[in-house]
Order: sequence, then C-alpha cells, then structure tokens
Amino acid sequence: MDTVPTEVPEGAGAIHTEPARGAATRPRVKILLLCLVVIGLLGIVLLAASREVATSPANARTARPVLTPPRPPLTAAEEEYALALWPIHNEVKASALKMTLGGLSYKIGELDRAALKIRIEQSSATFRSAARRIAALDPPASLTRAHAMYGDAVRLYQQSGAEMLRVTDDGRVEHLVAAQPLSMEASETLLKVGDILWPSEYKPN
Amino acid sequence: MSKRFWFTMGLAAVAGVIAVGALGTPRSAPAQSPVYSVWLVESSRFMKVPFGAFMPDRAFVPGSTSPMNNINTVDLPVNVGVIKGGNDVILYDSGWKQQDYFKMTGTEHAAPLPDQLKQLGINAGDVTKIVIGHGHWDHAGQLMDFPNAVLYVQREELRGIEWALNYPNPKIAAVNTSPGGCARTPACGYPPKTLDEIYGKVLAGKAVIVDGEMEIAPGIKIHPAHRAHTAGSQLLEVPTTIGKLMFGSDAYSSWEGIRDWMIANPQQTDTVQQFIAYEKCYKVTGGYQNCVAAHEPLSYTDKYPLTKNAWVGLNGSRMAEIALAPGEKTRKP
Repeated sequence: MDTVPTEVPEGAGAIHTEPARGAATRPRVKILLLCLVVIGLLGIVLLAASREVATSPANARTARPVLTPPRPPLTAAEEEYALALWPIHNEVKASALKMTLGGLSYKIGELDRAALKIRIEQSSATFRSAARRIAALDPPASLTRAHAMYGDAVRLYQQSGAEMLRVTDDGRVEHLVAAQPLSMEASETLLKVGDILWPSEYKPN
Repeated sequence: MSKRFWFTMGLAAVAGVIAVGALGTPRSAPAQSPVYSVWLVESSRFMKVPFGAFMPDRAFVPGSTSPMNNINTVDLPVNVGVIKGGNDVILYDSGWKQQDYFKMTGTEHAAPLPDQLKQLGINAGDVTKIVIGHGHWDHAGQLMDFPNAVLYVQREELRGIEWALNYPNPKIAAVNTSPGGCARTPACGYPPKTLDEIYGKVLAGKAVIVDGEMEIAPGIKIHPAHRAHTAGSQLLEVPTTIGKLMFGSDAYSSWEGIRDWMIANPQQTDTVQQFIAYEKCYKVTGGYQNCVAAHEPLSYTDKYPLTKNAWVGLNGSRMAEIALAPGEKTRKP
C-alpha cells in the first residue's frame, strides 16, 4: 500500500494551506448539494408513489379490505338436510316468482282477475304442500333456526297469496300493495336460509 | 334554332334554377342536442371467475403462451352507469346490495349504491330513472333504495321469465340447476326478491314497461337487444361530449368481446343476437371504444380507455369519470 507524505516544507504552509483548505471545502459542498438533490428526488419519488397507492386503478385489484373468512363446510347431517330441502326450495321459489309475476301482469293489464285467481291458487297449493313437507323434515340441531325461518317464509308467502286473492273478489289494487311486503319479506328470508345452506346458490349472471 | 333546342334549353334553365335554389337554401341547423355527464361505478367485484366460464374463447389452456388462453381466472366488476343532465339523474343498471345474508361467495369490494352515489355528490332521492339492461339479481337490485326513480324494463324480459317458469320440461323450467348452483337455466338469475322489487316499482306506479325502442330523455334512447343476454335485454344510447355512448349491461359483458367479436357471459344468450347488439354499438357510436361493458375485467384501467379516468372509492370499489357535460365539475378526487 502506498503512503502519502504528510510533511509540508516549512515556510510554504501559509501560502499553500489556504488553497488547500478551499479545495477541501469545495468537495464537501458538492457532496452536501448532491445529498440535497438525492433527498429531494427521493421525496418526489415517495410522494408520487404515495399518490399512486392512493389513486391507482391497478391498485384496486390488490386492495381487498374486506375478506370474508371461509366458513366451515356443512356436516353430513346438515348436508343431508340441505339436500332434502333443495327440491322443495325449487318449487317454492318458482311458485313465488309465478305469484309475483301474476300480480305484476294483472297490474299492467296483461292478466284478468280470473286468470290471476287461478295463478294465485296454484302457487298457494304449492306453498301448502311445501309447508307439509318442510314440517316432516328433521333438521339437525344446528339448523333448527334455519328450518323455522324457512317455514315462516312459506307461511308469509301463503299470507301474501291470501291477500292477493282478495283483489280477484273486489278488484281493489290495495290488496296487492298490502301483499307485496309480505312476499318481499319471505323472499328475503329465503336468501337468508340460502346463505346458510347453499352459499353459492346464485352465480354471477 | 329549332323548337326542340329552345325546349331543351328551357328545361336546362329550370333545372339549373332548381339546383341553385336547392344548393343555396340554407339547411335548417340541427337542433342543439343535449349532452350528459357520465360516470361508471363498480357495485362489487366477482373474484377469480374462470375465464372460460365468462368467455368460452378465452378458456385457460395450461401451458399455453397465447394471450388468448393463458389467463386462468379473472376478476369481474359489476358496473353501473350514472348519467346526469337536464333534470335527470339516470342509472343504467342498479347493481346489487351485499347483505350479511347475501354475500355471493367470492365477491369483494361491494358497496351500497346510494353511498357510492354520495361520493359523486348525488343523493339517492335525486335519481329520476333507472334503466335495467336486464332483470338479473346483480343488475336490478337495490331498486327500493331509489324511491323517486321510475324503472324502465322491457316487457319481453318479464315474458321471458314467465315463459321459462311455465316450460313443461323441468330441466328448463328449473329455478335451481343443482344444489348450490344456479347459472344456466333461463329463470335462475331471478331470485324472488329481485322480482319483488321490480313488482314494488310497478305497484307504486314507478315503472314503465317498454316495448322495443324508447327515448326516455332528450337524446337518451333505449334500444332493444332481446335475447342478447336475456329475453328482454336492452341497451342505452347516451350523447356526451366524447360522442355517443352505448351501455349494454350483460349484452356487453366484455368490452374486449365487443372489440374482438367474441361472445361473453352466455348464460341465456342467443349468441347471434349478442353479436347484433355489438353491431348496434358500432353503428350508433362509430366503433367499439364507446361501448360500455358491465363486467369487463379491464375496467378502470388504461387498457379499457373509456374507463381509465378512474379512482378507488368505498371498500375498494372503483369509479370512473367518463364524460362531463359543459359546466359540470369533475368528481375525481
């Protein structure tokens, strides 16, 4: 390794040390300025990055603030109950849709009173049959509440149908207006039970 | 000069006068047609949907290096159009409301539409009209949250549900296709609650049953696209400062599909009718750039330029400002 001579000839110090000190200061200033520039640039980069994080559409693809925790699968007994209820559910849903469409068609003048009456009576018969079949099911303890909810929903549909039927007697649309919230509540209950038994019942459509 | 000569010259003169008159007559200037402000709002996002289930031509092929077939799953936004102008605030589709009991497995970034509209400075009570592209649950939800809005639905849509429910073959009439899944049968996309909400609008005198075409506000036109996704699918033409837009709901599920002429989301679709719906956008807007798709995975990115002016809103859902009418201020934060 080379060594650097440190001794300065005597008498030369006053002349040579001044420029030497200035030359030593200038690189320090340069380094300081360079540091400032680098810090400034870093600041700009960080600011841009933070703005990007806040506003980038692409970021939304990875932003998942609400992740639904996976639920445990149904037990064998629960699965058996869900399978037994499924065909009944199919009929209840179809009848509910037919009844609602009946009221809608009547309101827009596409169905007369006689046809509406037939429609509602058919749906009501399905609801009665469904209620009997549901009552015959034996749910596991964990699904007792869901089972009761489903039974309540079918009863609500029956009440809604009974109220709708009155329009076929007196022609007053108020009966349909009174019946619709009952049907709506029943439909909502079906979704609630469906969420327990068939969580992927509806697919993206 | 012969009589014939003068007769011919006379005829030529008359024709000339008529021609000059016709050319010289100033044509009546076309009436200034209104333009509207338009935003796109992501109601929710269906995560990790197999690409092939959404677009059969884009089915994943393991090991493929083709960009057509090397993507396994896609995240599908559920887009709602917000149109503002004159005295109207119009929604095209109304998304769906995620509840604690109605979550849709694999869904993220759901937010209630009234809250999302608030971010645009619009109150739910200000919405005057809702045009549903079709009646499926993820496009016709939340109707009761807009009490003043008049619903526009095609008569053919209602008839299509009726037809499916009464079809003699139970495999076709089924509202459930298999335990835990409902996708392909004609009536399965309509939970009773969705139809109850449509019915509620009808009973409240807040529904217009549309037969084919209809202009619902100056320059805003419904175009039927029957069977392009469901029996009574309908498109919506909207004039803006960037040209006419055409909203398509699930008839236009994929913007890339419209661009590349590939079918998308073929649940109950007559694919020929879907192509004819695509053609309608080309004809009305002059191309594919202004076709507004409901589930385009590229939405809110530069790759779907119409929607690139985007930002992140409630619960990670996204919004895009598509066009502003003169005098309308930006809503982008």
